Amino acid sequence: MRIEVFGIGCVKCKRLEKNVREALAKAGVDAEVVKVDDMTAIMDQGIMVTPALAIDGEVKFMGKVPSVEELIGMIKG
Amino acid sequence: MLDILLGGLESGIDGLIEYLSEHTLTCLIPAFFIAGAIAAFVKKEAILKYFGPQTKKFISYPVASVSGIVLAVCSCTILPLFAGIYKKGSGLGPAITFLFAGPGINILAIIYTAQVLGYDIGLARAVAAIGMSLIVGAIMGWMFRNERPQGEFKLLSSGEGKPRWVMFSFFLLLVLIMVVGAAKIEWVPKLAIIYVLTLLIAYLVIYHFEREEVTDWGLETWDLTKKIFPILLIGTFLVGVLAFFLPPETFRPYLGENTIPANLVAAFMGTILYMPTLLEVPIIGTTFGYSTGVMAAGPALSLLLAGPTVSAPSLVVLWRIMGWKRTVVYALLVVAASSLAGLIFGTMMG
Repeated sequence: MRIEVFGIGCVKCKRLEKNVREALAKAGVDAEVVKVDDMTAIMDQGIMVTPALAIDGEVKFMGKVPSVEELIGMIKG
Repeated sequence: MLDILLGGLESGIDGLIEYLSEHTLTCLIPAFFIAGAIAAFVKKEAILKYFGPQTKKFISYPVASVSGIVLAVCSCTILPLFAGIYKKGSGLGPAITFLFAGPGINILAIIYTAQVLGYDIGLARAVAAIGMSLIVGAIMGWMFRNERPQGEFKLLSSGEGKPRWVMFSFFLLLVLIMVVGAAKIEWVPKLAIIYVLTLLIAYLVIYHFEREEVTDWGLETWDLTKKIFPILLIGTFLVGVLAFFLPPETFRPYLGENTIPANLVAAFMGTILYMPTLLEVPIIGTTFGYSTGVMAAGPALSLLLAGPTVSAPSLVVLWRIMGWKRTVVYALLVVAASSLAGLIFGTMMG
């Protein structure tokens, strides 16, 4: 599984990354976490508001930081 | 030699004192807290729904012209939103309106301009940014009217927001603190009022916000301060030093009168030059001498409008997003609209 965290160094983006790592650890899932902070790469994905997250290339949400529990649901789902 | 160095240094320090004096800071600090709260609490996707491909144009244009105040606290958030609205949303016109108005109506910029350069030009900056952005957006939307959006952007819902009255009173209280802080009243009643307002905010924060949200607010405020303030500090100092070697009188022949060429020159410089957030204010006040009466009101507004909206680096990014034809048309329209607004304002100020 490949998880991409999109953000341009904003406060929420850092928290999202932290929550993602925590969720992975709790769910016991092994995944590659990639941080994308290049603005053109973010725009190419059609993301307009950061932070955003994509699992295996599919954008799951943007502009918010879900709780660790919600993230576990997304990772397992 | 030493005289020159000392003179330059003194001029730089004078600049710092002039631009970051006490009454400026009492206004700027609450403004940073407001901007931080906007970054932390405002649900941006809620506004994005007005930028869908199906949204009626008479809704998306006005929303685009004013939404910068909540969407565009930092200029780095403008370009992705612009690209999204252009390619997958309402199309080129509203996207351009948003791009033009965003930096002009950002709360920090308006407050700082009004405090340092005067309320008249601060207000003119906001009004002209909104008005001209609508005109420029509509012209571009019309010129390139045969384009269809490449798909529709997905709005990924973000769950429940707070009750409206909580957010409304929260922002209202923050704005009141800023206004009272800037008002010319005795410091005893002033502090008393601010104390009461702060207590009310504390009540809202304790009973209606999650702990994590409040932390976010603090972090966003600090993050903005960290990004903007050091550059403003150093920049203002350098602007002061520069004024010693290159007095504003140098520019009087070009920018001293409210003429069509002067406004065009100011708007053109603004389109090319990159100016870090808020630094446009000391550049106009000191380098070009608006504060000392050297620069006329018209060119000052032209530069204020064109400056933060585009710069050579941002034009390069725009080129990549929408191609050279639209970028060139946009740059020309920015120069035309900014100088026109400057000319009108300059005439009004006589």
